[in-house]
Amino acid sequence: MGVRCEACVNLPSANVLIQVAIVGLLTGGVYALMAGGLSLIFGVLRVINIAHGAFLVFGAYLAYWLFRLYGLDPILSILITIPLFFLVGAVVQRTMLSRVRSEPGLFVLVTFALAITLEGIMGALWQSTGRSVRTAYTGEVIKLAVLDFNLRLPVVRIVGFGAAIAVLGFFHTLLLRSNLGRAIRATIQNSTAAQLVGVNVSRVQAVAFGLGLAAVAAGGSIFSLIWTFNAASHEEWISKMLSVIVLGGMGSLPGAFIAALIMGVVESVAAVTMTTYLSPIVFYLVLFLVLIFRPQGLMGTRIREG
Amino acid sequence: MKRNNLLVAGTIVLSLLLAACGGPATTVAPVPTQPPAATQPPAPTQPPPTEAPTAVAPIRIGASLPLTGDFSEPGTAAQQGYEVWVEMVNEAGGLLGRPVELTVLDNASDQDTAVADYEKLITVDKVDLVVGPFSSRLVIPTSEVAARYGYAFVEPAGGAPDVFNRGLTNLFFAQPARGAQQADPFADYILSLPEDVRPKTFAVVSQDDPFALGVVERLKGQLTDGGLELVLDEIYAPETTDFSAIATQVADLDPDLIVGGTILEDSIGQIRAYQEAGYQPRGAFFTTGPSLPGPFREALGDATEGVFAAMSWFPEAEEYQNAEFVARYNEMFGGTPADIPEDAANAFTVGQVLQQAVGNTDNIDNAELIEELHEGVYQTVVGPLSFDEVGAPKGSFMILQWQGDTFVIVGPPGREQAEPIWPKPEW
Repeated sequence: MGVRCEACVNLPSANVLIQVAIVGLLTGGVYALMAGGLSLIFGVLRVINIAHGAFLVFGAYLAYWLFRLYGLDPILSILITIPLFFLVGAVVQRTMLSRVRSEPGLFVLVTFALAITLEGIMGALWQSTGRSVRTAYTGEVIKLAVLDFNLRLPVVRIVGFGAAIAVLGFFHTLLLRSNLGRAIRATIQNSTAAQLVGVNVSRVQAVAFGLGLAAVAAGGSIFSLIWTFNAASHEEWISKMLSVIVLGGMGSLPGAFIAALIMGVVESVAAVTMTTYLSPIVFYLVLFLVLIFRPQGLMGTRIREG
Repeated sequence: MKRNNLLVAGTIVLSLLLAACGGPATTVAPVPTQPPAATQPPAPTQPPPTEAPTAVAPIRIGASLPLTGDFSEPGTAAQQGYEVWVEMVNEAGGLLGRPVELTVLDNASDQDTAVADYEKLITVDKVDLVVGPFSSRLVIPTSEVAARYGYAFVEPAGGAPDVFNRGLTNLFFAQPARGAQQADPFADYILSLPEDVRPKTFAVVSQDDPFALGVVERLKGQLTDGGLELVLDEIYAPETTDFSAIATQVADLDPDLIVGGTILEDSIGQIRAYQEAGYQPRGAFFTTGPSLPGPFREALGDATEGVFAAMSWFPEAEEYQNAEFVARYNEMFGGTPADIPEDAANAFTVGQVLQQAVGNTDNIDNAELIEELHEGVYQTVVGPLSFDEVGAPKGSFMILQWQGDTFVIVGPPGREQAEPIWPKPEW
């Protein structure tokens, strides 16, 4: 280890900082889509779906498969994976998870088992090789000169961010404008009261779980465009998504969105201002600080249970 | 009713967890159950059928490999290499006339599990011989288990400095040179370039992996001693997937040469991020990744052009049993010779070394084997191998460079198939 690097202590230039902050923001939009479904599921069912990361990677594999077999762009494959994962989610919740939902500890164990099962299936189907999708625009950038800054925005991140915002917008409208959305929000606020005013809570729960998986399926397609993955990747991503929804406030979609953007920016700026090794820690420091002052997260509400 | 459901669900979860964590053991080769006999009949050309009462007891060999988790890819390749060797050795009549039976446990890339696996293989399963896992991280603790029980430990993929400096005498690294010496021929090549095209600055971006760090640390010293200036030195955690921020910083400093200490996925992640950041070095070297042609090319396309790496083995090399190994691998696992991972060849090499050492000592006494392995010269798919007093091999890696849709050997001088391209085209 005798060689020392003189340049390593130099602070990055303003151009580098702006550049990585913007790319971090674009990445955060994708994190928001990935974590949004997890937050929705928690909001409605009050349980943690540990298999969320595994479904994310499964969605990425499906996008990879559709691309390899039929040349389908991962962004277009969202149109196939969203309804597919919605159905899978609703059925899994209705037939399997609804039986253990009253025991949150057991629910975590069952979804953990589901994650391991999915990992095994993915390993068997696609081997353990790291995969990623290489489209015609992979590696391409859009060059922007703003003020004195020369920015290079990777096309995959812009496309990924745009698709994530579009899907999130669709979900947001669904939750705000439709009767189903009103039923879901009522259940998030108070499931007993929702039941009293005629909401079919068990159906809402199945739909919410399906929507949660549909969101993560879309996230998986975008994931395949930007990062490499293997069957075991889900372990890192579930912890990332959990941190996002804890920071944002469990069950809050706007909270998850803001927290995901914060994570994207903090991660990348930390990577260039200190060592890459320490950069994940900075986000957790932010998380701890927020939780000290707002235990319910940025946008969460305190629940009084008696 | 509810209680029943809970019970059922609980049982399912438990069984799934056990199935996932218990480390499924896969066993290949015939399984006769007789106790070992002192003398054996001459080698049969086919493995004996299991129901035959006269079947000889197999020689049982155990290994623990990272078949799942972070090292699942090379771990699976190593398992395939071992399996090819077992098939070939059994077809040729086995070891000392006894069929070989291989037990592979999955350690999920976890050090503690790997240690427990070797403890179990040696003390509970009482295997006759053990062979090593993948990568220095797992080799270091597990070789000490083997040493404690006096087992010879020939291993395919642990060549970091810490593998050799713990005073062990039972360990043998079955690659052409120590892992850290992998890039030696590349350093020689860079420093041999005429001064007007030789790079003046370089950056190192490496995963926190003992193998990768060993290589890049040594290369760093050689390049700075040769007059190059190190402008950035970054180490990232193994789970890092996003390199956009660090690539932006590299592009800002714009070094002539980039050295990546990588496994596979991170080499793809780094190169994509450099493309996006607009960084165009004159030369690029990655420790592992470029030598896994299938996934590397699929993920990067023409961006592979001109990328350097080092490798210990090559499908077309004219070494002992190499052609047979390549043919048998493709027969068993499909694909083309270019799809065969180097890690599979390294594991096969372990088998070759063990086979010849056992042949020379004419028994499977581990103490005698250890003595023999320090003295012998073994013909392998990576060339003739011998080991020094700490088990480090004496030889040199080859350097490869991507040219067109495949890679070619461009060094060291005397072994090259093509002239290296310098500077490399833009990616």
